[in-house]
Amino acid sequence: MRKSRFLLTPVLLWLSLFLIVPMLIVVGISFLSRDSLGNIVFSFSLEGYKTFFDPLYLGIYWDTLVLSLLTTVICLLVSYPLAYYIANASPRIQTWGLILITVPFWINFLIRTYAWVLLLRTQGVVNSLLLWVGWIDEPIQMLYTYGAVLLGMVYNFIPFMVLPIYVALEQMDKRLLDAASDLGASRWKAFRHITLPQSKSGIMTGAVLVYVSTSGMFVVTDILGGAKSSMISNIIQSQFLGARNWPFGAALSVIFVATSLVLILLFNRAMQARHQRVGEGR
Amino acid sequence: MNKSRWTRLLMAGMVAVLSVGLLAACGSDKETLHIYSWADNFDPEVLKDFEEKFDVKVTYDNYANNEDLLAKIKAGGSGYDLIQPSDYMVKTMIESELLEPLEMNNIPNFVNITDTFKDPSYDPGNKYSIVYTSGVTGIAYNKKYVKDEIKSWGDLWNPEYKGKVLLLDDNREMIGMALKKQGKSNSSKDEAEIIAASDELKTLLPNVLAFDTDNIKQKMIQEEGWIATVWSGDAAFIAAENPDVAYVVPEEGATIFSDNYAIPKGAKNKELAEKFINFMLEPEVSAKNYEFIGYSNPNTKAMEFHSEEYRANTMINLTEEELRRTEWLDNVGDSLSIYDRLWTELKSGR
Repeated sequence: MRKSRFLLTPVLLWLSLFLIVPMLIVVGISFLSRDSLGNIVFSFSLEGYKTFFDPLYLGIYWDTLVLSLLTTVICLLVSYPLAYYIANASPRIQTWGLILITVPFWINFLIRTYAWVLLLRTQGVVNSLLLWVGWIDEPIQMLYTYGAVLLGMVYNFIPFMVLPIYVALEQMDKRLLDAASDLGASRWKAFRHITLPQSKSGIMTGAVLVYVSTSGMFVVTDILGGAKSSMISNIIQSQFLGARNWPFGAALSVIFVATSLVLILLFNRAMQARHQRVGEGR
Repeated sequence: MNKSRWTRLLMAGMVAVLSVGLLAACGSDKETLHIYSWADNFDPEVLKDFEEKFDVKVTYDNYANNEDLLAKIKAGGSGYDLIQPSDYMVKTMIESELLEPLEMNNIPNFVNITDTFKDPSYDPGNKYSIVYTSGVTGIAYNKKYVKDEIKSWGDLWNPEYKGKVLLLDDNREMIGMALKKQGKSNSSKDEAEIIAASDELKTLLPNVLAFDTDNIKQKMIQEEGWIATVWSGDAAFIAAENPDVAYVVPEEGATIFSDNYAIPKGAKNKELAEKFINFMLEPEVSAKNYEFIGYSNPNTKAMEFHSEEYRANTMINLTEEELRRTEWLDNVGDSLSIYDRLWTELKSGR
């Protein structure tokens, strides 16, 4: 027992040094003030938290939540069938499926996002193709729109959803399905009562990964959205840099982390409650 | 099983790709000058010439905006010997005591700098900085799509350019532009004036394709946007790639900016940094360097070494008359939070 606890030392050191201490510093700064040059002044202030409740910043936070949830839902709708297909395919196809999903992610995130610029811009690949085929008369403005941002988000985070669901489905005991079919369950019924509950852990992991990554993202809105909409992370970034208002930026970070944690906890609880009900019903 | 081996291999690949970035190169024992500046801000050959002449090593890291630079220098221990803050940032850094005073005896070539850029308002007496390059934020437009003659900031509001206008992603620059349009100072601290300017900018939003500072050049070259607020040096770069693009300093006046040489407090190789500044101000070296970077050269003695092409370029060399219409951005102190809030409102469409 003692020996195994000793094994945790490196990770605990790492976490406290590079996660807990910086977080505490951020929490500390969020309660301080600043001078007009942007230097931190050691006097207590709740100004940062008060500013957040300005409808302007609340609205931006709401937009961020909506975009993140939308991304998570679309990722789930796209990823589940894909993961299901891969998990039930022959080993050869499984291997290739996983390679095709993972390999693009060996390329730098920014480069992948800029690739979409090349595809979507007015003189880009998609518009040129559509013009050539004759389906449109003049280029469609696809870039620098909300749709482009959503597309970029979904594209970048799909593997975070596919892989956990794939793992869950892959580990599932397939004999349960045979049993269900022997007992007269339709394929849909078997899916609903066996496959779906068994893959719930994968969905949960995937959803949390996608939601957290999306809500903290700020480059996609800049590159594909033309910086025309702001997410809460854009605001946090600008408070630490251009606006030189660290206490407000820190307060936003604290609120952001806290609400994300609460949302994830609520989500987890809701999923578990459903799981139990399904379990009891059986 | 076959596939789990593959999965492990894929994961290992991901980890490997991530860790490559963490591997740092090792240095040598030669004296080393650590430069922290904008991307592509020097001719690499000129840096090499300096290394050979003085038998030293030069490292060159990049930042994307003055605020990144400030954050890094403020944090301390950055290890840089030479930085290139813009005008207002020089002032901020002096006020925050982040710069070393320059030893002018080590920089005799300072006399080569044109009087226009000596003794600037942001650093009286050049105690902490020497100008490196300068430019003016004006309007670049593509003559293929923009048929009217452009001469005023108001032309950006023309409904014909709906969804084709590009703006700098910078609250001081853009609200400053609207202030200029209304005949005010670009660094107004009067809340009513700033709000009026921001309100007028809001009416420009339907025309705006995107806000961008770093890649606005590419968007103009690729003809994504037809008309844009750009820095004169960037306009020269765009026009070199796309000859249809013209540039104008609007009649209401515009913002002038400069990038400067400065030495951060506690620099380890201060003397070497001064040697470097002096070397860069030698007429021939200077001409070679500015030919490459394509920005304006404040070195009067270097003009004779410049190409005909460079000297004839009106986007690089602005006229006295154009420069008279310009104004430096000044620090606005606590009013910065008004600029920031209005800019956030503007960009989020609220």
